[in-house]
Amino acid sequence: MVEVNLQQQINAQLFDKLQLAYICVDSSMIVVDISDNLSSYGYNDISIGAKVEDCVDFMFGFDAQTQLDLPMIESPSGITIAVSLLPSDSSLMVLISNASNQAEQRQLLQQKANENELLVERQEKLLHQLEQASQQLEFKNQQLEEASRLQTSFLSGVSHEFRTPLTSIIGYTNLVEQSLKSSADKKGCDPEQKAGHLRAVQRSSRHLLSLVENLLDHGKLDSDEIVVRPKEIDLVELFQDVELLLKPLSDTKHVEFNINLDIGDSAVVLIDDSRLKQCLINILGNAVKFTDHGSVSLTAELLDEFLSIRVEDTGPGISADDLEKIRLPFWQAADTGKAGTGLGLTITERIIELLGGKLEVSSVLGEGTQVSFQIPAPMVVTHESSKAFNSPQPLSNMAVLLAEDDHDIADLMVMMMADRGVHLTHVENGALALEAMRSNTFDFVLMDIHMPIMTGHEVLVALQQENNSTPVVIMSASTVEAGRVKAENLGCYDYLIKPVDVDDVIEIMNQVAMNTDISHRP
Amino acid sequence: MVGDFSVGKTSLTQRFVNNVFSDKYLTTIGVKIDTAIVGDDKLIVWDVAGRDSLSPINASYLVGASGVILVADGSRSNTASGLLEIWQMVRKRIGSVPVVVALNKVDLDGWQIDDHSRAILDQQGWDVFATSAKDGKNVEAVFNKLVEKMNSKDS
Repeated sequence: MVEVNLQQQINAQLFDKLQLAYICVDSSMIVVDISDNLSSYGYNDISIGAKVEDCVDFMFGFDAQTQLDLPMIESPSGITIAVSLLPSDSSLMVLISNASNQAEQRQLLQQKANENELLVERQEKLLHQLEQASQQLEFKNQQLEEASRLQTSFLSGVSHEFRTPLTSIIGYTNLVEQSLKSSADKKGCDPEQKAGHLRAVQRSSRHLLSLVENLLDHGKLDSDEIVVRPKEIDLVELFQDVELLLKPLSDTKHVEFNINLDIGDSAVVLIDDSRLKQCLINILGNAVKFTDHGSVSLTAELLDEFLSIRVEDTGPGISADDLEKIRLPFWQAADTGKAGTGLGLTITERIIELLGGKLEVSSVLGEGTQVSFQIPAPMVVTHESSKAFNSPQPLSNMAVLLAEDDHDIADLMVMMMADRGVHLTHVENGALALEAMRSNTFDFVLMDIHMPIMTGHEVLVALQQENNSTPVVIMSASTVEAGRVKAENLGCYDYLIKPVDVDDVIEIMNQVAMNTDISHRP
Repeated sequence: MVGDFSVGKTSLTQRFVNNVFSDKYLTTIGVKIDTAIVGDDKLIVWDVAGRDSLSPINASYLVGASGVILVADGSRSNTASGLLEIWQMVRKRIGSVPVVVALNKVDLDGWQIDDHSRAILDQQGWDVFATSAKDGKNVEAVFNKLVEKMNSKDS
């Protein structure tokens, strides 16, 4: 009896100390007994006879046979409890104890550990980002270094490319000057030799011009300002011009230069001849530059209104790696010993696209290179009247005004046109040009744009206002398309880019003469 | 709700049950139990303490569960790849119960769940949701989907 009482006292004290509570349920999970202190844990709605899962959320899903320890559950009162489910034959005892002390200690430890781990993760992420940024920076540095190398190479190439023809121009003109000085005492070179020197000067000048055009065109690539203007051209003449320009260069290198044409006897087509010539000069110029032995051949075929061009050389060839890079602007192979601007192929490819074709390049290292393209070339049917038109008309009856402020260019134009039987009246600014046109009747005007006192554009505006329909051909040093458009909108008859080809001027004058009765002129 | 520590299990639960959110991180100890009504169903949500370096998930808390939401933090890819292992543990303890996946914290920059990681989860045949306990995105969708799957399993 005493032992039972002692046991009961100990049990009661243990219960109090551990703040133990209990719920007893039968095999159907109906509450049959509960301790008095369940409300201290927030379980206020438990009553004998109720289904335990309806009163105690954590009991949902269990049956009377479930044996389980749930070490830390947050009770409705906020106190963390430990729960043990103890099944017996016919009932289930749910024992609840206060676990808040352990929970608190565990919380502090867990919180610190988790925060540390998160910091470590963030640190690793940042390090990874730093590494990526560093790699990107390294890549950008390499790109900048490459760009700097290309720029240096480009400037060196430009310098070389310009110096070469300039050396030729300066040298040959010196020779002509010397021979002219010596002609007085009958010494010096004969006329044929002088003509040869001057032809060399002309070639070098044209080469210089093509370099300038390439540089300017490169600036236009990104802004899509390169424009093609098809006109009627004789392909045979075009290829003859190209051969005249490049054959002397290949001759000096003892490289065979062949042009094979399958285009018929009279192939007049509608193409932008200056752009086509630019591409051919770029492609053939490269081929001749890089070929030291053997030959450079151009094959041209005109079939079904398509012009197919193929240029083959026996030069050193291009490696597969470099073949991908050659179309990039400024890129040049490092070890050829041949300087250049690295622009020719980039611009050529773009121009061929604008002409309606596609540039193909194939090469094997050590076995030469082949460059080809095909562009539309609509045939032009030539009638008798247009044949008559193409024949030079006597232009000496035409009254022609030249408005040009540069005296060297003006003197040159006067001399060149005089050779063709055309007399020019020269004025040196736009105001004088307008005054001359008001007081005299001119059949044709050649006019510069940038002149003092009154520009070419201002003159055109004044002429429009006065309803003066005298044909005015603009000569401009600017290749900016907007300038041409402006002049055309102001009513100019045609627009030529300096240096002006006298043949182009004569052709335009012939057109004007066809439409004007100049037979009465004295 | 099971997953690694600090993936947003408590935040998702609180957003769904009480429509509240707190930026403060307080690690869950043991399990917190909340109740929500979804249509005609009473949902008892066991928000179980996350797996961490000190301890694995206590499988005792899974006993009696009718369904599981696997939660990962989308800005920590290791918590998503860890879901496969966690699911193995769940299946071992309570069998293949209906499951949906919440890739949480979709509101954050630095989302790390790429197509490859996503494909691995999709290959399990799981319904995967990109969620945000912060702005509520897809939170209801996740719980509703799980309820739908649990009900169709019962019927």
